[in-house]
Amino acid sequence: MMRSVFQDIVAFMEQRLEKRPRGFDLFTKEMLSACLGAFDEDATTVYVSGYAFPTELLWAFDIVPFDFEIACNNLPQATGGNGSSIMIHSENEGYSRDICSFYRLIIGCMIQGMLPKGDLYLTSSYYCHGKAKANEIVASSEGKESVLFDVPNEISPSSIRYVVSQLKEITSKLETITGQTFDLDKLKEAVSWSNRARSLLIEINNLMKAKPCPWDGARACLLALGGAIFWGSPIMYNINQMLIQEIQARIEKGTAMPEKYRILWYPWVPVQQTNIFSTLRENQASVVMAEVANVWWSEIDEASPFEALALKALENLLVGKAEKRVKSIVKLAEDYDVDGVIHFSTPACRHENFSSCLILDALNDKGIPFLNLDGDMTDERNYSPKRTMNTLCLFLEVMKNRKAAGAGNGSRQVIDQLFFRNDSFG
Amino acid sequence: MFPNLCPYLQNILDSGLSKKLKKVEGIIFTNSCDGMRRLYDVWSNYVQMPFSFMLEIPKNRDENGIAYFSEQLLDLKRRLEEVFGVKISKDKLKTAISLMNDRRGMIMDLFEKQKQIPPHYKGSELLSFCLEETTCPKDETTQKLEALTGQSRTPSSSQDRPPRILVMGNVIDKPALFEMVENARASVVAFDTCNGLRHYSGFVENGSDPIESLARRYLLKPPCTRMPGFDKRIERLEQLIEEYSIEGVIYGSLKFCDYSLFEVPRIEDFLRKNRLPFLVLENDYIWSDVERMRIRVEALLEVVSGEFD
Repeated sequence: MMRSVFQDIVAFMEQRLEKRPRGFDLFTKEMLSACLGAFDEDATTVYVSGYAFPTELLWAFDIVPFDFEIACNNLPQATGGNGSSIMIHSENEGYSRDICSFYRLIIGCMIQGMLPKGDLYLTSSYYCHGKAKANEIVASSEGKESVLFDVPNEISPSSIRYVVSQLKEITSKLETITGQTFDLDKLKEAVSWSNRARSLLIEINNLMKAKPCPWDGARACLLALGGAIFWGSPIMYNINQMLIQEIQARIEKGTAMPEKYRILWYPWVPVQQTNIFSTLRENQASVVMAEVANVWWSEIDEASPFEALALKALENLLVGKAEKRVKSIVKLAEDYDVDGVIHFSTPACRHENFSSCLILDALNDKGIPFLNLDGDMTDERNYSPKRTMNTLCLFLEVMKNRKAAGAGNGSRQVIDQLFFRNDSFG
Repeated sequence: MFPNLCPYLQNILDSGLSKKLKKVEGIIFTNSCDGMRRLYDVWSNYVQMPFSFMLEIPKNRDENGIAYFSEQLLDLKRRLEEVFGVKISKDKLKTAISLMNDRRGMIMDLFEKQKQIPPHYKGSELLSFCLEETTCPKDETTQKLEALTGQSRTPSSSQDRPPRILVMGNVIDKPALFEMVENARASVVAFDTCNGLRHYSGFVENGSDPIESLARRYLLKPPCTRMPGFDKRIERLEQLIEEYSIEGVIYGSLKFCDYSLFEVPRIEDFLRKNRLPFLVLENDYIWSDVERMRIRVEALLEVVSGEFD
């Protein structure tokens, strides 16, 4: 099923791109083509979570990574919101509904025989631990070893050494499965593509500060997560270049959607069908930026790529103290001059949910409205359109009141009563 | 606070926020899970304590992992010396290692006696001792340990053969489950939990580099479900079942523990293949729901006893 669904979407996207080239369509086509490539019997398929692994290393071997999370979680949207029909197979095998729906979906796909066979099952220890366990289950179903890229929560010479040693071991494994000898120049080339695409992403993010917002922060979020496998390839560069042209044209022509409210979104957007973004659009509320779309890593040093890629992993926005994220989110809220911040909370996301009180309090101090929006990434059984609509409308009302009163203390009380104190220690 | 978070972590945070830990001057967190990592962040922000430290524990049980963990332990040692004005010398470390190895040996002897039929101690008695032992200064529990070691078994008839239960899972700090089993005339002969058998298994080599020896032992001891490798966990379970003549397994898991949630179906598969009765009891750390659990425990024990097929 996965293969045929993706084939249909890729064919559709190719037609659309011929008629009207668009960066996001190019991303969708490339992402799903990469997933399809993993089904090719001659392909070397490496399972990975693109957003949590320096994929530049894989591109140095000309391996197209197979992001098992992204592949599986494209299915609910593509099949009309039918994720639970796949998840139920994992639940019937004893995997509790307290497990994140992302992983129940992956295990369900595995049980249904939808996944391609991997040559290497690589995963990362950070966001989140459940993913590493899901990868281990998938690998063992194929009788293969799963390899864990273990990234500590602190940056120090010893943690860099630890991560570098793992990258080098993974390199040896890649040599084995591809039959190629590692070529440092090819890694440097991949790093160079990554740095060039990064510069373009910074440009896109700067353009997003325009009022009204010339693009969509929710799509930027999807691109950041689903497109992460392309860091290190020219594909990411091409997508970003196309997006810049579109966004610039929209600014010049003044064709951006009218905007009353500006919203910062974190951490991820649901991949199942919801009424969230239609409700926001109807009320002229733009998602102007997503936390994960921000460029959180330094330029990669091409002269010492292993150390620099280790640093990229260690600098990941969800690795390290939450304090780092809190500062980053407050800065984004200020830089993008937002009227409110939405935290989309999926029930099993322990690290997100645990630290949200810190973000809430920091935004509270700045008088920026915050909404914790309960939902689920992919399980439609845990999503209520009516309740979501009601919550969003209340939040829009808070932003409206705040705007009417100016950003001062007058509106703060309303915000506190509605959204803050019940969920805070402050 | 979100309700769907580990109750153990919520309990720790509650202790900090409600200032129940007045005598505690420092806290060492470990990067054991996503929730614990964030508890450290929340704690650092909302609970004032002179010393709090996040100890990274690698997940890869190899030489690179041991090297990194050694550096982490060295860093912890330096921080403890700075904050508390103490000197943790190599000799002191070696003495402590030696003391703890002796304790491990003695406590493993207690567990060893549980292999007898019927077992030497009540499971609840062993759990209580382990809890006291891990939270009190060592010299305060030495006498008790010696008394336990020398304790003769309660006389029982030769036909007295209570069903033999293994408890596995994560943290169990309350005797409620053990008492439920014992009240139903069965025995918890071993408990392979975070604070049970697994905690005491394996000695620290008292070699020339005590920090490295500590890193090696703690990283290579029997793994908990946090570590990669379901197979290793199953191998250990198989070994415990054989050594302790286990007839039924109860998996006590904290609610919302992702590691356990992923592991349980695999354990269940293994036990089903081996025709061993199995029960999963999710708990809220304080075991507030004992009455509802009791009937499930009793049903398991009926199956183990062969009273119900």
